[in-house]
Amino acid sequence: MEAVQYQAGVPEKRSVTRALRLSLLVSLALAAVLLALLAVASGNDRLLERHYGLLLGLNFAIGVALFVLSAELARRLWQRWRAGVFGTRLMARLALAFTLMTLLPALLIFVVAVQFLGRSVESWYDVPMERALESGLTLGRASLDALLADLQSKARSMALELAEQPPGQWPGTLDRLRERAGAQEALIVAGNGRIVLASGGGFEQLVPDLPTLASLRQARSSRSYAAVEPSDASSESRGLKLRVIESITVGGQFGGEPRLLQLLQAVPPTLAGNAEAVQQGWRDYQALSLSRTGLKRIFRITMAVTLMLTGFSAIAASFLLAGWMTGPLAMLAAGTRAVAEGDFRPVKDYNGRDELGMLTQSFNTMTRQLEEARALVERNQQALERANSQLASVLANLTAGVIVLDDRLHVTLANIGAERILESDAAAMVGLPITELPRLGEAGPAITEAFAELDTGPQRSWQRQLVIRRDAREGADAAPALTLLVRGAPLPGPQRGWLMVFDDVSEVVSAQRAVAWSEVARRLAHEIKNPLTPIRLAAERLQLKLVGKLPPADAEMLTRSSKTIVDQVGVLNMMVDEFSDYARLPAAKLAPLDLNALVQDVLALYAPPDANGPLRADLDTNVSLIMGDASQLRRLILNLIKNALEATERSPERRVDVITEAVRPGGSAPGVRLIVRDNGSGFPSGSMSRAFEPYVTTKPKGTGLGLAIVRKIVEEHGARIEAANLSDEQGRTLGASVSLLFTKLVKNDDNCGVHTTLDEAGSPVIMLDRPADT
Amino acid sequence: MKRRTAIRALLNVALMALLPAANSADAIDVVQVAFEPSADGEAWLLSSDFSLSLSPALEDAVNRGIPLYFLVEFELRRPRWYWWDDRAAVATQTHRLSYHALTRQYRVLLNGVSGSYSTLSEALDAMSRLRSWRVMPRERVRPGVPYEGWLRLRLDTDQLPKPFQVTAITSRDWNPQSEWKRFNIKPESPKSAQ
Repeated sequence: MEAVQYQAGVPEKRSVTRALRLSLLVSLALAAVLLALLAVASGNDRLLERHYGLLLGLNFAIGVALFVLSAELARRLWQRWRAGVFGTRLMARLALAFTLMTLLPALLIFVVAVQFLGRSVESWYDVPMERALESGLTLGRASLDALLADLQSKARSMALELAEQPPGQWPGTLDRLRERAGAQEALIVAGNGRIVLASGGGFEQLVPDLPTLASLRQARSSRSYAAVEPSDASSESRGLKLRVIESITVGGQFGGEPRLLQLLQAVPPTLAGNAEAVQQGWRDYQALSLSRTGLKRIFRITMAVTLMLTGFSAIAASFLLAGWMTGPLAMLAAGTRAVAEGDFRPVKDYNGRDELGMLTQSFNTMTRQLEEARALVERNQQALERANSQLASVLANLTAGVIVLDDRLHVTLANIGAERILESDAAAMVGLPITELPRLGEAGPAITEAFAELDTGPQRSWQRQLVIRRDAREGADAAPALTLLVRGAPLPGPQRGWLMVFDDVSEVVSAQRAVAWSEVARRLAHEIKNPLTPIRLAAERLQLKLVGKLPPADAEMLTRSSKTIVDQVGVLNMMVDEFSDYARLPAAKLAPLDLNALVQDVLALYAPPDANGPLRADLDTNVSLIMGDASQLRRLILNLIKNALEATERSPERRVDVITEAVRPGGSAPGVRLIVRDNGSGFPSGSMSRAFEPYVTTKPKGTGLGLAIVRKIVEEHGARIEAANLSDEQGRTLGASVSLLFTKLVKNDDNCGVHTTLDEAGSPVIMLDRPADT
Repeated sequence: MKRRTAIRALLNVALMALLPAANSADAIDVVQVAFEPSADGEAWLLSSDFSLSLSPALEDAVNRGIPLYFLVEFELRRPRWYWWDDRAAVATQTHRLSYHALTRQYRVLLNGVSGSYSTLSEALDAMSRLRSWRVMPRERVRPGVPYEGWLRLRLDTDQLPKPFQVTAITSRDWNPQSEWKRFNIKPESPKSAQ
């Protein structure tokens, strides 16, 4: 899983932080290196000494850089403090502690060191030492001066001796004199520096060591010159030599041009070396003493730079350290906030093996567990919602009405089934007590009693069939009673409540009644029909055998009685046949059928199509073919027409209309309507709703099975039947109308081209006039 | 070398701002310059006179035996209006002035040759006369192109003992140097030069 770095939200800010940190580290490393160099340079390193100034400058620059960095860090800390960033206070405290812990000892050491070094530098210089060196130098000078004076006196005596001799003897005399004097080199030069005579000299030296112009000048003017010189002019060698020049006074010779004698003698090496050493010591001491303030300054500057670098490094490092220590804390804080906002990603693992690392790990573990718990809760909730929606859809699709009641028997929930059965809005029902519910209110006391029994009794549910009269205002028998099968049970769960499920079983009851009647009819027919024929035969036989043997009066009574028996047996037989027909009505065999043709066929059975006859047909030629059983439908139409004709028997102007029409209602399925309308007496009020039940008749002699059979056939065809009285404005009954709607049509959208004709035998023939090749 | 002087100049500026103005009178100056081809025509020779005097502090240092190094710096620049000047040639020469306490002589070492002088002013005189310094080969300059010569003499503080270096950073007394002396050079074609 992706880990989150909460340290800094904005990338560029983070990069700035990183750059700052990097530059700080680099500066610290540089400072360390430079400090080391400076410390070495404060010693006696020749190379570093040459670059001492540069080194100091660099140290100073690094110090400034560190200062700037520290200031920047402090500024950022201050900003974060002001902004109230979590962990800043701890960081500031830590930084301050670290800084103090480092700075105070450093400061102390600095003060002590400066004092101590100042004292020690001062203690290097003491008067006896200086005096000793001075004396040594003077001693050296005196020794050299003594040597020089000795050589000078020798030179003077040589010059005197040479002056007494003619110049022609000088070469021999010079060698002799030089050896006697112990000088290394003797030279006689002219006043202008030209060599006259040379004696001695090293083998390595081709050209004699000539006096300088300045020394010649001095010798000419003051007649003598004496000096100690370095033995080799071209180098700083430690050797010294003595040079003495004396003028040789030769009266009137050489045209007045003076001759000069130069003697050279090396100072004994031990003397020269010791004298040089003394001089070196004196020089170093002088340099030291001169540089006393400078030296102290160097120490002070070095210490100060060291202090500065250490201090700023300490400050910067303390910021870094504090940052490192509080970083995981800030991360954890950010992680906590994120968890509070619902972000369960783990924080970046703080890669340390200390307590903070463990804290981070346990925080991540906790986050993970939290997330899992939340996921579990979500899953459960989803499952619950799914179950709820399933339950809701089950409830919605239940035909049974479901009502949930609270412990006071007030409605808390009602489903669509309840809405349909009670013909009321579910929302309107909620909150009503059960006794005030529409329709069900009448049965309220019974339900309340049932629930009360459930509450006290041992049984777990109750079931009752309640008959409720539908809308009493329409009259006592305007509507059949609503038969409800109601079940009640306590709701499980901590809250007390009741569940009530009810079904509208009126239809079921009606159908059960019809089934029962048909069963009764079948048995009656069977049981009654068997004895009828023997009864009739017996009666006829009685009449036939006995009519001649009896007196006329008795014979006449016999004849009348037997006729009555035969007639009534005939009536019984007819009734039984009808019962039998009703009971044994076979299942319809549906086939494509033209209703118009069937109607014409049936009408043809009656009186010839007479313009004045009561029967009229009004047929729509656009009706589609329906799926129907021809023989059953024929019987249906016959029954309806017969009923209509019977109803109009007493009317002055009898009229029965048979109408077919195509119904194409927008939206719903298309259908075909068949209407049989008469202007007779109409259905008596009150029998309208039960007109189609068996044994309900308004006719003086009738089995009441005609419309029952009609209804059975209609049900077989999946059609709908409606019966209604026609009335005028004053409410007088003008006649009756029975309307049938067939919705099972031949599944052929384009069946308008189907023509139905009757063949010779009068049965309908369906002809398709479409070309065969289409 | 250049970089170091630049840094020092920077530090000077920085520190001078903090310190009260030191001796502002220039102890060293370039008095005159001569720039000419050598007799053999192989090189360019530079001769120059400086006025050179030591501050009391420096004189004291010399008399206590501390050697001083003086640098003669020469630069040949070709001015360019569009860019920094082209440094065609650079030459330096170091004089070492020291005092030999044993013999009470001042010594000046130049190019490996030392001269001894009994007084400081003689030594300074010897140092301030620069004669026939072969600064560069002749073919370094293109004839007909105007050049600028830059010359100065200064104390090489880098060669001072360390304590004095620190002092030299802050004190002008310890850091004498002449201004750059600029002189125009327009070498003629080789034929006319001979």
